[in-house]
Amino acid sequence: MSSLDLHHPNVRIPLRAPWAVHALTATLAWTGLGCAFAADTDVANEQFARKLAVAVCASCHGPGGNSEQPKFPRLAGQHANYLTAQLRNFRAQTRGDSDAIAYMWGMAAELSDESIDALAKYYASQHPTTAASGNRAEIDRGREIYLHGIASEGVPACASCHGADARGTSDFPKLAGQHAQYVLKQLGAFQSNMRNVAVMHGVAQNLRVAEMKAVASYLEAQP
Amino acid sequence: MARPRSLSYTGTVAVAAVLVLCAWRAEAVPSFARQTGMACEACHTVYPELTHFGRVFKANGYVLDNVKQVRDVDQRKQQLLSLAQVPPLSIMAQISYTQLKEPIPDLANVDIPGEAQNGTAAFPQQLSIFYAGKIAPHFGAFFQITYGNDSGTVSIDNTDLRFADVRILPDDRSLVYGVSLNNNPTVQDLWNSTPAFGFPYSASNATVSPLAATQIDGTLGQDVAGMSAYALWNESLYAEFGGYRSAKQGATNQLTGAAGPLDGTVSNVISGVAPYWRIAYEYNWNRHSIEVGAYGLDVRLLPGGASGAPFPLQRPYNRFKDVAQDFQYQFVDDTHLLTVSGTRIHESMNLGATFAAQGSANATNDLTTTRLWATYYWRRRVGGTLGFFSTSGTADTGLYPGSPDGLVGVVTSANGSPDTRGWIAEVNYLPWLNTKLSVQYTAYTKFNGGGTNYDGVGRNASDNNSLYFLLWFAY
Repeated sequence: MSSLDLHHPNVRIPLRAPWAVHALTATLAWTGLGCAFAADTDVANEQFARKLAVAVCASCHGPGGNSEQPKFPRLAGQHANYLTAQLRNFRAQTRGDSDAIAYMWGMAAELSDESIDALAKYYASQHPTTAASGNRAEIDRGREIYLHGIASEGVPACASCHGADARGTSDFPKLAGQHAQYVLKQLGAFQSNMRNVAVMHGVAQNLRVAEMKAVASYLEAQP
Repeated sequence: MARPRSLSYTGTVAVAAVLVLCAWRAEAVPSFARQTGMACEACHTVYPELTHFGRVFKANGYVLDNVKQVRDVDQRKQQLLSLAQVPPLSIMAQISYTQLKEPIPDLANVDIPGEAQNGTAAFPQQLSIFYAGKIAPHFGAFFQITYGNDSGTVSIDNTDLRFADVRILPDDRSLVYGVSLNNNPTVQDLWNSTPAFGFPYSASNATVSPLAATQIDGTLGQDVAGMSAYALWNESLYAEFGGYRSAKQGATNQLTGAAGPLDGTVSNVISGVAPYWRIAYEYNWNRHSIEVGAYGLDVRLLPGGASGAPFPLQRPYNRFKDVAQDFQYQFVDDTHLLTVSGTRIHESMNLGATFAAQGSANATNDLTTTRLWATYYWRRRVGGTLGFFSTSGTADTGLYPGSPDGLVGVVTSANGSPDTRGWIAEVNYLPWLNTKLSVQYTAYTKFNGGGTNYDGVGRNASDNNSLYFLLWFAY
């Protein structure tokens, strides 16, 4: 968190969220990290994102997006496209899982498109820390489900979209190394449609809790 | 609390301090939620206890905002104004009912002894209005004014004004630094292990209070003004240093009739500046957070006088040197939340003034207060706290006097000892995150130096046990 609001007055002002963008430069001007007349808005955006990430986001998401608390997802090395989409969903209040409502709807409310893009780039460029280990049998079961799905229950292989190494693509999020508790909670939210994503609802609708736990444990253990 | 006749003329610092000991003030402020757009759970386990995020929010001066602003900038694009379109105002109410195990004597007419009514309804016990949130880009406030049923008036309550900023260090760690201007030592602290926001978070004001309390333990609250500078490195290492001066409420200069300068019609005025210090370290891993720290205050109080019996504000003074340690452990999960916390405050008294005036039996005394508590909540909805408290120190028949005539006790000590010990058990239910229903039982095993017949008039410590029902909400 910082003594700044998330507003800033020096970048070109888009029509839809003027003061959110203003926030960017004001912040830098006030804190001495940047110049209020920064000619290069990309540099200004980058500095702003770093400041925001270290001073605000890190309280929950950890230094460099390597969160310690399993309630808050690890963001280090996540694909920028995915992060951008999620931040926009938070801002638009269209992502409806419980922690999104309690934390991120507010946090993202006044972020400009430029701030969102810069934050996404910042986290995408961070290096994830070492993966956690877990229950071996559960991880093996999770690996099986992740790579091959459960044909008898109509559960497709996660790997078909998220990649065999769980590193994702520009369209699908990286899952390797994510907190098991977070993954489990999200699968539950997809299943209940609190987080309303048709594809993931389809994937998760037949998963049992034990199967979700297994997949989550497997993913947390992946580098 | 009834003022014992035996103490009416002593004017001793410690006892006078006890007489102003009031109910614990505790806060929960929904205007922060409106300003940040985040739910209570971001900053609180259950109010008023803070989470790690809440502590960092406070250190940053209450200024994080995620709402549209009314702005002004100069031609160099420096911000001149940043006002939330909705002011950060909140109200808070506490409605309570208190039952003592045994009623206390009614001294309204000493010629016709009676019994005070047992079972006190407070509607409200306390009603507060807050300005809690950003004032300007680096300037925030936690400003509380309170109507209390004991005084029947509206007055200033816990207040903490902050200027804060943050630097990003080359290794991508943060350094938050700032200045706090406040009116109660430890109200500015980030952890709930220190007195101002420690357990019990609310207590009845219709019970019998023990005679002794240390200065830093709420005794000076709302009667002082302090300024301190602080720094929080990497959201883990915290250091603070500052000082307090007397800022008496309702005091006027006898000569000018103005609010100051303070003169001999007021008592217990800080001589010079009372230095305050604090250091703490917090470590977070997984769902756990642990803090250990120390804090202290060194206060010299000029005894002064009263409006009916003025005495110049001059030496000798009484000196109270408080040094305290504290810790806090938190486990924060969606389903289970556990906090274990405590503090130990040691006070060295050098009663130069009171001893010279024969108000104390000893020139120097010690007083130690220890509190430990554990809180559990299930889904932030149902929970409880079990707490232990103990105050012990040097016996002093001047400071902690006995019953003058052997008839009126309750707030006296037969043996001059300040020792008080007991337990508090509390059960809470929160139908919503800003509404709390509590039942609290306080049990004394020792009171003012004794377990049985502590006042020499036949009252036992356990007679002061109390049952307290509380409805506490904020909006």
